[in-house]
Amino acid sequence: MRISCMQESLARGLATVSRAVATHSSLPILSNVLLASDKGRLKLSATNLELGINCWIGAQVEQDGQITVPARILADLVNSLPPERVDLQLVVRTNTLNLKCGRLEANIKGLDAQEFPLIIIPDDEKPLLLKAGMLAQMIDQVAFAAAQDDNRPVLTGVLADLSADTLTFAAADGYRLSVRKEPVEGVAWQSSVVIPAKALQELRRLSADADAPVSMLISRNRNQVFFHLDEIDLVSQLVEGSFPDYNAIVPTSYNTKTTLLTADLLSAIRMAYPFARDASNMVRLQIVPGGAEAVGKVVITASSPDHGDIVSELEATIEGTPVEIAFNARYLIDILSVVNTPQVTLTTRDPSSPGVFRPDNGPALEHVVMPMHIGR
Amino acid sequence: MAMRWIIHVDLDAFFASVEELLDPTLKGKPVIVGGDPSGRGVVASCSYAARAYGVHSAMPMGQAIRLCPQGIIVHGHYRMYGHYSEQVMDILKQVTPLVEQVSIDEAFLDVTGCEKLWGPIEHIAHMIQERVNSEVNLPVSLGVAACKIVAKIACDYGKPHGLVIVPPGEEASFLAPLAIERLWGVGKVTGAHLRSLGITTIGKLADYPTLALERLLGSQAEPLQQLARGIDVSQVTTERERRSVSKEVTFSEDVRDYGRLARTLLSMSEQVASSMRAHALVGRTVRIKLRYPDFSTITRQAILENPTDQEQVVYQEALRLLKAQWKAGDAVRLLGVGMSNLLEQGGYQLNLFEHSDIRRSRLNDTLDAIRARWGDDAIQRASLLDYNARKGK
Repeated sequence: MRISCMQESLARGLATVSRAVATHSSLPILSNVLLASDKGRLKLSATNLELGINCWIGAQVEQDGQITVPARILADLVNSLPPERVDLQLVVRTNTLNLKCGRLEANIKGLDAQEFPLIIIPDDEKPLLLKAGMLAQMIDQVAFAAAQDDNRPVLTGVLADLSADTLTFAAADGYRLSVRKEPVEGVAWQSSVVIPAKALQELRRLSADADAPVSMLISRNRNQVFFHLDEIDLVSQLVEGSFPDYNAIVPTSYNTKTTLLTADLLSAIRMAYPFARDASNMVRLQIVPGGAEAVGKVVITASSPDHGDIVSELEATIEGTPVEIAFNARYLIDILSVVNTPQVTLTTRDPSSPGVFRPDNGPALEHVVMPMHIGR
Repeated sequence: MAMRWIIHVDLDAFFASVEELLDPTLKGKPVIVGGDPSGRGVVASCSYAARAYGVHSAMPMGQAIRLCPQGIIVHGHYRMYGHYSEQVMDILKQVTPLVEQVSIDEAFLDVTGCEKLWGPIEHIAHMIQERVNSEVNLPVSLGVAACKIVAKIACDYGKPHGLVIVPPGEEASFLAPLAIERLWGVGKVTGAHLRSLGITTIGKLADYPTLALERLLGSQAEPLQQLARGIDVSQVTTERERRSVSKEVTFSEDVRDYGRLARTLLSMSEQVASSMRAHALVGRTVRIKLRYPDFSTITRQAILENPTDQEQVVYQEALRLLKAQWKAGDAVRLLGVGMSNLLEQGGYQLNLFEHSDIRRSRLNDTLDAIRARWGDDAIQRASLLDYNARKGK
């Protein structure tokens, strides 16, 4: 193997695959990155068997070949190189990667590329075509609600449900649920799978151009999901288990509907948060409908046993009965940060039933959040 | 820190005094409140008449009987103790809201600035003693000083029926002649260590070279010496800032039966959770305590994902901790359960998938209301019927 490329593109490529490099694996080769010539380009590849990433960069291939070297060492070295041409050469006899850049020369001991797990995207099925920007928005609006801990592994994932004309993403931990639906065209297959939230967040990080196409495919045996972006492949194992029936969780009725300015509500919750932190993150929303003359208002309070309290009042359009309901401020900040419409609605039934936040005149997005029990 | 006035209030021989109140024929006689002398109960409290024979609390009952054969043994009307304690605490809270109840019969009051309301400090102390004597009919001792440690020691010093005021600036000279064991944090072991160095009084501890003391006591040395000099900056913290709620029981004989341990845990979890609800507290850390017949004691704790004030959650976690620790056949002398990591203005996150937690919360609130009105035994878990019946005997 004899390949030349620019330092910047090599550094960028290594950064792209870096998240898939195994950190504590019993298989040493999984800590390595694969470098291979591929149709006149340099292909970089890393996998921890859960998540795998391929990335192609422009290069001048003088002789085909492949090798794996420790990802960390190569990335640290390349990041420190000057922005110049880098020459890579495989010394077959010693399985060593020889790297030259300007007056610098390094030899990195590698492992045989034959041992490296192949990351191949199947091409026998028609993928679902999505816009990178839209996909990124869907991930942003849903993935945060996935569980962080492994108590119920299926909840660490995002349900991706593809029906005839709609792609639905849903994620929930034990306390909240976020659902986003988006119309899609040209659906060739239907499927309902659970993708690790971390894999989606990684995909989100990789997609730069909002208009770029992203294709998505589920493996025939339903245990892997593939995404292909321009010059990047991402493959992830799917989470086993069946996702809870989220439709049963979304309340079908409400007693109070409150419409507020999203930015104002977010800012009020953020200001209350330092006080709420000491009290299980609890903020109270006292929702008071207006009369014939007056507008409705929402009074937001938080109080810390040690540090004091805060009260703020927002004008709101309120239909229905007055209610006082408490939520985890952290959850509200998460939700309101991804609602991208000027106004947001909150529907509530009573202080111990879930509240639902929806963007007003926005995409089909629902955030269901369980309230906190208000002590006596 | 500005000048403070702290009062330590301690009811004299509290359980025994209540027994005398309930049965006036006991008055002046050697009353011993405690467990069964044939088992291995201990003295919970005893009257001053009994103390004259050398009986003291925490002494095994058998030994107490040998010292004082004519002692009248009473098994304790524990619910009445709570009732009288509340009456006393109510009086204290009328003096100042800054009341820290240390135990059923003891409290600290911070009355700094109360002179404007109630008159000079001597007057406030007399007023408290007089009101407890006349309104609740119980003897009480008070210690008054500028900090908690000195107030507490002054109170002990004056017992019974005492009222000792240590003026500011005289703390060290008041403490100096007192036996070293009177100091907080000096137990049997530390006390013996100190005495081996010739430190027999608090004054000698105060004057001992700090470096030499550190070799013996390590990091404890300096704080202990500060206390010995009558310097204590700790605050009177009100009940709302309680840091833990716990309950423990010493069995009348060692228990090897898992079922009995589990039921005991359930019963104590009920009491802990109910007490937390009564104080609007929720907690995240569940702790169990196990003491074996050889007195070796272990505690184990676990942190819950979400704070709770529900006995079912406390019990479930406590039982899990017990199962992880207790092996079939192990004999247990004492079992305890507690919650710490407490938050007030309790709120806890409700679960999206399990609506049972709301129903459970309503159930527990209803049980609290029934018990508040009709008594603790008015409604019970079927699994605890036998257990409670035995306990009541």
